[in-house]
Amino acid sequence: MNTAIDTARLSPPPRQSLVKLLAWGVIFATLAWSWSGAEIRPMALITDGANMGTFLADFFPPNFHDWRYYLEEMVITLHIAIWGTALAIVCAIPFGLLCAENVAPAWINQPVRRLMDSCRAINEMVFAMLFVVAVGLGPFAGVLALFVHTTGILAKLFSEAVEAIDPRPVEGIRATGANLLEEIVYGIIPQVMPLWISYSLYRFESNVRSATVVGMVGAGGIGVVLWEIIRGFYFAETCAVMLIIIATVSIIDIVSSRLRKLFI
Amino acid sequence: MTKAAKVMVPAIKVTRLHKTFNCCKALDGVSLDINPGEMVALIGASGSGKSTLLRHVAGLAVGDSSTQGGSIEVMGRPIQACGRLATDIRATRARIGFVFQQFNLVGRLPVMTNVLTGALGRLPLWRSLTGLFPLEDRERALEALTRVGIHETAWQRASTLSGGQQQRAAIARTLVQRAEIILADEPIASLDPESSRRVMETLATINAEDKTTVVVCLHQVDFAIRYCPRTIALKKGQIVFDGPSAELTPSALRDLYGAEADELSAPIQGSASFITDTALAVAG
Ligand SMILES: Nc1ncnc2c1ncn2[C@@H]1O[C@H](COP(=O)(O)OP(=O)(O)OP(=O)(O)O)[C@@H](O)[C@H]1O
Ligand SMILES: [Mg+2]
Repeated sequence: MNTAIDTARLSPPPRQSLVKLLAWGVIFATLAWSWSGAEIRPMALITDGANMGTFLADFFPPNFHDWRYYLEEMVITLHIAIWGTALAIVCAIPFGLLCAENVAPAWINQPVRRLMDSCRAINEMVFAMLFVVAVGLGPFAGVLALFVHTTGILAKLFSEAVEAIDPRPVEGIRATGANLLEEIVYGIIPQVMPLWISYSLYRFESNVRSATVVGMVGAGGIGVVLWEIIRGFYFAETCAVMLIIIATVSIIDIVSSRLRKLFI
Repeated sequence: MTKAAKVMVPAIKVTRLHKTFNCCKALDGVSLDINPGEMVALIGASGSGKSTLLRHVAGLAVGDSSTQGGSIEVMGRPIQACGRLATDIRATRARIGFVFQQFNLVGRLPVMTNVLTGALGRLPLWRSLTGLFPLEDRERALEALTRVGIHETAWQRASTLSGGQQQRAAIARTLVQRAEIILADEPIASLDPESSRRVMETLATINAEDKTTVVVCLHQVDFAIRYCPRTIALKKGQIVFDGPSAELTPSALRDLYGAEADELSAPIQGSASFITDTALAVAG
């Protein structure tokens, strides 16, 4: 019964409590520091409450008068996403293989990885603005923007899948006198295929979302429409377009996640 | 060996091969000659360097470069010398079939495709990359699968096969390869006695019918005695015995391996009964 317990151990050692306290301190300090920079004014939500109410009311009922036009542009957005993703997959396969430690030597995969990092680091909006300047306004600029950014992402995901393969089947292929390309086609690709398909579908989903935004800088599709009606204060129309985007993106997400489950 | 055998080019010639891993010496001056058409068992306790030796012969690993003269030749073609692989290693590898303990098949591909990969070494690149194997090779693959007795699984995924079937598919791959030498690294270590027997019989049949040189790593001496006329025994990376398998009596093993001999000869009792069992089954 009365086994003496060391009461000091009931609470964590003081050093741990101190670290915890310090961590919270750092978090609050960071939040306070960014408060003024971000111009946080919670009171504005209350004082401007009435304004916001009327603003919201302007959105309803949504105006679907031009729905044919909206749908057409939405389909163009899909086209942008499809081509942006397809081109990215085609390029991500060789780049992904070159990024993988178990395929390419360090002097190849390090530079290729840095290249892919930079494709990834810059947002597709930025690429879209650059390509609008380079190839002119329109969907093609959007395709190129998605293509470059997605290549960076897929190459990384693809190479991680390649690095996680079982090396033994590859050695089995090598032992037959096969060369490196044949080792990749027969030993590596069959192993990573399900993951690669799943990653590609996932990126297609996100690219449909991104494609609606890249339009806002003039790179074609529904984003262009959205940008114009927001600037013109046509809120009922804006609401209609947003509903169409939500519906499309949800359908694509559901279908693609179903498909992805088939492959894992 | 007879004088006539001595003048022919050895199927495998290993000269003073050394291999040091960061911790220890896995191969310590191994030299051996194996003639075409021989069926040789390579025995030794766990960690004695059997797998390491076979991987070097197939050019899947390279020996130490510091020691002068460590070299391997297969059918007169250099595999490696002084820690460097030969430049035409792929062409020579295509003549060597390798059977792995863990089968090393590509699980998601059909058995047929796995077996057809044996032809990769002699196909033009456009054919191998598109997977358009010539009819002749496909016929050969089916014939090989029939020969090892698993043709009905040809279009199943390799991962759905049992261990023994996978190992026979791996052997079929070496047949499609038209390998002149088969190196088998513990092909039966993960199989039950019945599958083990079938795999060893398959190897022995190929050796007898096709005159293919077979080198097989084994853990159990009784399989060596039963299927291989000649045995090479390794201990701590050195060859301690090279001669007729029949000389490997339990007492000879104890002389070679001391306490480790149990690991090698223990299955003799267990499998002696299974050998008589199968003999009875055949007789009855
Ligand atoms: N890749 C490696 N890295 C470091 N050491 C290794 C490596 N491969 C083998 N070794 C060592 O070399 C020695 C010989 O190993 P090897 O696999 O050839 O033995 P084995 O006779 O095949 O044994 P087993 O019967 O268990 O398969 C062992 O001591 C092992 O630890
Ligand atoms: Mg081994």
